[in-house]
Amino acid sequence: MYDLQLNNPAKSEIHSNYAIDMERYVSTVPILLRTLNREMDGMEADPKQKLENLYTQIEELQVTLNQEELVATRYEEVDQLLYDFKPVPAHLKYAEVDNDRALKVVRSLEVMEQQLQQLKGENILTRPDDMIGLVRAWRISFVEPNFIGLDHYKKFLMDKRMWQALWNTSIFTIFSVSIELVCGLAVALLINKQFRGRGLIRAAILIPWATPTAISALMWQFLYDGQNGIIAKLFADFNLITNTGVLLSTKSGAMFSIVFADVWKTTPFIALLLLAGLQTIPHTMYEAAKVDGAGKAQQLWLITIPLLKPAILVALLFRTLDAFRVFDLIYVLTGGGPANSTESISIYAYKMMFAQLDFGAGSALSVIVFICIALICMVYVKLLGSDALTRRMH
Amino acid sequence: MDKRPGFWFYFLLITFIFIVLFPFIWVFLASIKPPTELYGEYAFRLFADNPTLENYIAAFTKHPFLRFIWNSFVVASLTTVYSVIIASFAAYAIARLKFRGKTLFLGILLAVSMFPQIATISPIFLFMQATGLRNTYLGLIIPYTTFAMPLSIWYLTTFFQKIPLELEEAAKIDGASIWQTFTKVLIPLVVPGIFTTGIIVFITAWHEFFFALTINTKMSMMTVPVGIAMFQGEFTFPWGEITAATIVVTIPIVLLVLIFQKRIVSGLTSGAVKE
Repeated sequence: MYDLQLNNPAKSEIHSNYAIDMERYVSTVPILLRTLNREMDGMEADPKQKLENLYTQIEELQVTLNQEELVATRYEEVDQLLYDFKPVPAHLKYAEVDNDRALKVVRSLEVMEQQLQQLKGENILTRPDDMIGLVRAWRISFVEPNFIGLDHYKKFLMDKRMWQALWNTSIFTIFSVSIELVCGLAVALLINKQFRGRGLIRAAILIPWATPTAISALMWQFLYDGQNGIIAKLFADFNLITNTGVLLSTKSGAMFSIVFADVWKTTPFIALLLLAGLQTIPHTMYEAAKVDGAGKAQQLWLITIPLLKPAILVALLFRTLDAFRVFDLIYVLTGGGPANSTESISIYAYKMMFAQLDFGAGSALSVIVFICIALICMVYVKLLGSDALTRRMH
Repeated sequence: MDKRPGFWFYFLLITFIFIVLFPFIWVFLASIKPPTELYGEYAFRLFADNPTLENYIAAFTKHPFLRFIWNSFVVASLTTVYSVIIASFAAYAIARLKFRGKTLFLGILLAVSMFPQIATISPIFLFMQATGLRNTYLGLIIPYTTFAMPLSIWYLTTFFQKIPLELEEAAKIDGASIWQTFTKVLIPLVVPGIFTTGIIVFITAWHEFFFALTINTKMSMMTVPVGIAMFQGEFTFPWGEITAATIVVTIPIVLLVLIFQKRIVSGLTSGAVKE
């Protein structure tokens, strides 16, 4: 809810209140007073009166500011440091100022600037621009609070790129999770048998799971490569795609690529979870069904699927949540491109924070991710019945 | 089930295993090709004409690859050790004590582990920035707690629950304090569980990409996944080095998985199936 930008010094910290940049303040005001004094020397009575007014006004403003204890004490310290040509440490740089007081000072500085502009027009000052500049410097030494309420959210709700990212994430989640589930179930049914070399199969299944996503993404990037990638070439040879460049350089090709890579990585894992579920189904049920004359398909629909439902739903929940926050795969494989067509909401938030250093907007985006995940969770808990989850814990 | 698996079964099985392992095989074959054979028409040949270890040497000499491995190893093992130790106390308490809000606590635990990392990065990053913990091991270990701790507590609780209560009662009758019961009776019994949890937490920490990418940006402090991803230049892909590095990090994983596959599978599925 703050306008927090790390590359903008006045906005790089959270300020709920007005603050004043002490370094600026300390270095401008004395010079301002001195310049005024010099102007007043040898001036006629009438304009001199105006400048004297300004002088007293400035002194009054200083008194007002010094009523803030923090400003008064820091003034001395910073002044000494600047006098010694030493750098001002970060903790002394800003002092908080009461909002009303700060606003009052800022207003009178604005008025003062106008008066000086007027005097400049009358051509009686020798160095008018200096003074105007100094007054302005003093004014901008005040740091406005960067609390902006819900503005970021308002902005993002109308941001096309945000909706695009949300859409991409949903497409990715729906496709990858459903394909993984179907393939995973098929594989689990396949290997739910007694056969030699089961341990080896299990190990082979675990390998994609145990490979860091970033590294598997790199491998796939190598296989998809438009010039030297074997998968791209195979797909092109079988006429699945028109040429080898399609996979990573077109919008739908890139989306297909990340879904495919994700399916490759997680299908075995889902198969493993479902296999564990399958093994809890007692044998006798199938035998009874066979005696009653049920075919293979009927056994699958009437026994396996209903009994496996809890395991399926749990796998589905965890995979959906995982897929929705997808980051490393896309970051390494496509970087969100081409033309943001594979940019997931996490990638967008990341770019906002670390490429544009706009932490305020990035945080707002990540809250949006969080809200989506919470919604997904709620839907699943409704589907699962909350006791299915809690029963697992006891 | 009772039928003996036939031809189609093995055919499908082999197809599946082939699909699963194909990328690794291909990447391995590419990693021993000299750079000239990686591009153009040679790229699609199965075997290298002049197999070489050049790429492996390049991966270690042109990049601080050994340093990446060391960083990953330190961060992952410290995370594992400390979270498993703390989690074993917590898991014991959860498994044995009846207290109000237990379900809520476990629910929150689950929610924390499912929390999108992107939603936590901004405060964590600003905190690390302010405390000067960026580009340190501690800077990664602290955020890794967010997933390592719930994971460990979750798995360990299941393991503690499997131990019969009678053992503790017997120890109590023999005059053992709670601490003695815990360290002398329970811990030896859950060692397999602790081990399994440790492996899974270690692998998860080894995988972690997002925090490592954002918090440790200095080349000398990067972890393996981030480091390899940074091999690529702005316009070039040194595929030889990337494939070689990939194989180097995959081999220990394969060994780990081959040795501990039974444990890992039992650990991973213990949450999914009711027993």
